[in-house]
Formats: sequence, structure tokens, C-alpha cells
Amino acid sequence: MSRPDWIVLIFTLVGIIAYGLYKSRTTRDLDGYFLCNRSVPWYIILLSIMGTQASAVTFLSAPGQAYTDGMRFVQNYFGLPLAMVVLCVTFVPVFHRLKIFTAYEFLEKRFDLKTRTLTSFLFLLQRGLSTGISISAPAIILSSLMGWDIFWTNIFMGGLLIIYTVTGGAKAVAYTQQLQLIIIFGGMAIAGYMVVHLLPSHIGFLDALRAGGKAGKMNIITTGGTGHGFNWNDRYNLLSGIIGGFFLQLSYFGTDQSQVGRYLTARSLKESRLGLLMNGLVKVPMQFLILLLGVLVFSFYQYGHEPVFFNESQVKLLEHSRYKDSLVQLQKDYEAMQSAKISDMSRIADDPMQAGVSSSDQLRTLVLSSEEKKMYYRNTIRRWLNSPDIKGDSNDTNYIFLRFVVDNLPKGLIGLLIAVIFLAAWGSIAAALNSLASCTIIDFHRRFSGNLISQEREYRLSKWYTFAWGIFCIIVAQLAYNIGNSLIEAVNVLGSLFYGVILGIFLVAFYLKRVGARAVFISAILMETVIILIYILTQKGMVNISFLWLNAIGALGVMLLSTLLNAFTTRSGSKPT
Amino acid sequence: MPDSTSSGEDERAPVFSNWNYWYVLVIAVLLILIGFFYFLTKKFS
Repeated sequence: MSRPDWIVLIFTLVGIIAYGLYKSRTTRDLDGYFLCNRSVPWYIILLSIMGTQASAVTFLSAPGQAYTDGMRFVQNYFGLPLAMVVLCVTFVPVFHRLKIFTAYEFLEKRFDLKTRTLTSFLFLLQRGLSTGISISAPAIILSSLMGWDIFWTNIFMGGLLIIYTVTGGAKAVAYTQQLQLIIIFGGMAIAGYMVVHLLPSHIGFLDALRAGGKAGKMNIITTGGTGHGFNWNDRYNLLSGIIGGFFLQLSYFGTDQSQVGRYLTARSLKESRLGLLMNGLVKVPMQFLILLLGVLVFSFYQYGHEPVFFNESQVKLLEHSRYKDSLVQLQKDYEAMQSAKISDMSRIADDPMQAGVSSSDQLRTLVLSSEEKKMYYRNTIRRWLNSPDIKGDSNDTNYIFLRFVVDNLPKGLIGLLIAVIFLAAWGSIAAALNSLASCTIIDFHRRFSGNLISQEREYRLSKWYTFAWGIFCIIVAQLAYNIGNSLIEAVNVLGSLFYGVILGIFLVAFYLKRVGARAVFISAILMETVIILIYILTQKGMVNISFLWLNAIGALGVMLLSTLLNAFTTRSGSKPT
Repeated sequence: MPDSTSSGEDERAPVFSNWNYWYVLVIAVLLILIGFFYFLTKKFS
């Protein structure tokens, strides 16, 4: 990175920490530390829940996802607006009326202590591990791309935010997220403008979309249908997006304390609802635009030299292996193919009606044939990386956008976009640490401590818990380094293993009034076992189902099983507890 | 399911007379977006 990039990066990060510390003046009790004294307006709630959900991976992975697989990933968010409506109708009014700190307190009021403790424990387990992975995933990408030491990248990615999160609690988290999102959106908008600006002068925005479309990257809506019916293993399609996405988002926003803790800080029920509903309005378009950036980057590379593999550190691995001579030959052939493609693309743009064939048909033929050739070279590199003596990382999807930034954007802007990655990570990690600390003190320390402790001591303990969780997550990040790129997938899978069951418990609490504590507790334990079993069978190839469906199976399973168990125990003569 | 309309004066829905209109708006915007995305898929693919 150049000096201007370093200046922009350091100035932005230090500025955020300073702003967080400035906003740290809170009441010295738990209400101030975890709930901002319930004083936050709806637009801060909106930015806070968006900042919590959008991690660094969102901005690194989504453009790469569109680049390789097209825009169909956006369907994953179609369930979100529906989930916001259900939350506003059911969950949020109850949470506000009970004036709770954590979502799990409600479960003790509705069921019993053991259900609350189990659910809170599952949250701590899942969120603690996935936050560690959220630190590690962007740190691995940045360290690999920029040549930074992974140990220190993890420390900066997960450590600096601890300063303002420990000091200022929920208020510092919410207000820094507001500033972070403004910088993030500004940075991404400039990146989008620059991609179009860097296209050849005769190629416009719509031409870029057409080029992407010809290669199948504009596959925004897909049905998941095959010639033989619906493909249940297809991750992103209209049905899985609406149904699977609905359960995923409902459990995330309704039962994950990192989100519940954001909208509980609202000054009223009205402000919470408005923040969530606005999120339902803007989230899908926002995700669409981030993915569109990936399609534009794809089109940019149709008119310029595209790296054969975007993770350069892995190519360097091959340069020092038995494949080094084959790699030199492959790169030579690939460059020749790229030069021919660029000249053909320019020819079509200059003379749209060659030999009476329309430019659209020519474009389709050229883009598809060059994609086919490119995949041959990329697959060869992947095969080499997967060989037992290399054991490299053959997935470069998450490197595509940053590689484009580093190779093509002007000085200063690179620093800004690296800062965007840090800020996106900080926003979600800070909220996670705050929620982990609130559950630890409220659901465990305060609940199980026989001694009555003063508000001042609880406040100081909360700071220590926030700090301790920060250290724990950094340790997880350091240990997770060897898993490589599959970390990003691991975050989603880890969530899907627990979210469905937790959501099921809450849905029983809200909608199945006759079901008692014992039935829901046993159902939750059984369904968690079933979900983990399904996941193991999927890994072994014995079951073919996408992890997104695990949320729906877990939630509906707990509801069904607890109803049956409740009916059975009631019929046997015992009353629901 | 709890009543979707709030009782308190300060909890009254802004802009509309009732929160239900907000919920309809959110779902309607989702449907319009899906329609728009379908159009883009057909147009550019």
C-alpha cells in the first residue's frame, strides 16, 4: 500500500475509535451500558441493525459471489422483509412490555429457568465461535492479499474495537455503527462509480450489464427447478430465499441477542418497529447493489486482463512446487487467450453488425466461449492446489473484489476500501461482544449469583465480561487460521445448526400457549440432536439438503414435537409446567 | 397473535393511521422488487 492509502486507513480507524470513546459517556449502570437508557431514535436503530448484520464478509464475499455465481444470492434476503413484519407484530411488543435486557429472560417468564439457560448457552456458544470466525475470515484475506502478518491482522481486526466497546457499551456500538455505515456506503458507491469509469470509453453501464448477463451473471431470480423437479440442495432460489430465508432472518433478528440488543435500545416500541421495518425496505436493494458491483467487476475484466486466479499467495505456492513449469506454460497460454478476447470484445463494440450478425449474438458467443476457456485454466490451477502435496486453498471467490481494488483503483481509494472492510468487521463484532457480555451478566452471573451486588459493581463486571469475550474471540480467530476460506461458510453453517431450534423455542412461546416448559425443553434437545445428525449425514453425502433448510426444519420440528409431547403428557395426567 | 395495532399515544404509527399499513407497504415493496428483478433477469439474460 502507498503512503496516501496508509494515511486514509489509519485516519479512518483512529477517527472511529475516537468517536466511539467520545460517545462512551453512559450512565454507570446496566441500563445505560446495555440499553443506552432506552433512548435511541429509529434511524440509529436502523443503521445499528444493518451494521450488526453486515460484516466484512458481506462486502468481500458478495461481489465475488456475483462474479462467480451471478446475482441469485440476493434471493437469500427475500425472507427478511417478511421476518421484519412478524417481529414487529409478535416479538418486539412483548420484549418492550417486559422491559428485558436479553431475549432469553422472556423464556424464563414464559417457561422456566432451564429453558432460558439452555437457549442463552446455545447463543453464547454459537455467537462466541462465529464472532471469532468473523474476525479471522477478513483477516486471512487481507493478510494474504497485502502480505500482512496474520497474527497482527487478527489483533487489529478484533482488538482495536474492544477499546470503545468496553468503555461505551451499547451507546458507543450504536453511534460508531452509524458513522461506520456512512463511510462503508460512501466507499462502496465510489468503488461502483470507479468500475464503470474504468471501462473502455465506448462501453457504458448498460453494456457492462449486457456483458455480465450473457455470461449468466444477471440470474437474479431462479426457481431452483431442474428437469426432474425441485433441487433441495440448490442454495439460492426464490423458494429457499423466501421460506428458508424467512426462518433464518426471523431467528437472527428475533432470537439472537446481538440483534435484539440493538432494537431494545430504542426509546419506544414505535422507534424499534420503524427501525426494523425500514430495514425490511432497504436491505434487499442494498444487497442487490453490492452484488451488482460484482457483475460490473466481471464486465470490467471482459475488456481487460483478468487474473487467472485471484488469490496470488496460492499461485506463489504453485511457483515453488513441482507444478512450476506447467504453471509458466499455463500463464503464457492464458495471457494469449486474454489478449485475443480483449481484442474481440473491442471489435464487437466498434462494429456492432459484423457479417450481418447482431452485436448481442456475437457478444453472447464470445463471452460464453471465453468463460469456457477461462474455466479450463482456473480448474487446472484448482486441481493443482487441491493435490495432496500442496493442500492449498482452491476457492478465490472472496479475493476477487479486493484484488480488483488493489490492482485498479487510485492511491487513497485503496486505503479507504481497506478501511471499509475493517469498519464492517468492527460494526458486527462490537455488537456481538456487547450482546455476549449482556447475556453473561444477565442470564448467568446475576441469575445464579446468590449475592446481591451493587449497580456500580455490575457495571464494572459488564466491562470486564466485554473485554474477556473480546479476548476469547481473538483467540478463536488465531486458532481458526488453518481452516482457510471455508471459515465464511462455517459462520453460516454454525448459525443454521442452532438458529432453527432457538427460533422454535420462541415460536412455541409466542404462538403455542398451551405447550409447557418440559415439552419444549425436551423437544429442543431432541431437535438439536436431529439437526446435528442431518448435518453430519449431509457432510457424508448420505442426505442432500442445503444448510439453509436446517433453520426451517429446526423451528418447525420443535413446534411439532413439543405439541405432540405436550398432548401426550397432558393425556397421561400431568399438567403442563 | 398479539394485536398489531398499538394502544399508547406515543406508539401510534407515523404517516399511516395504523401499523398494518406499514406491514402491507413492506410486503408490497418486496413484491415489486421481485417483479423488477424478474424483469432484469429476462432483459439481460
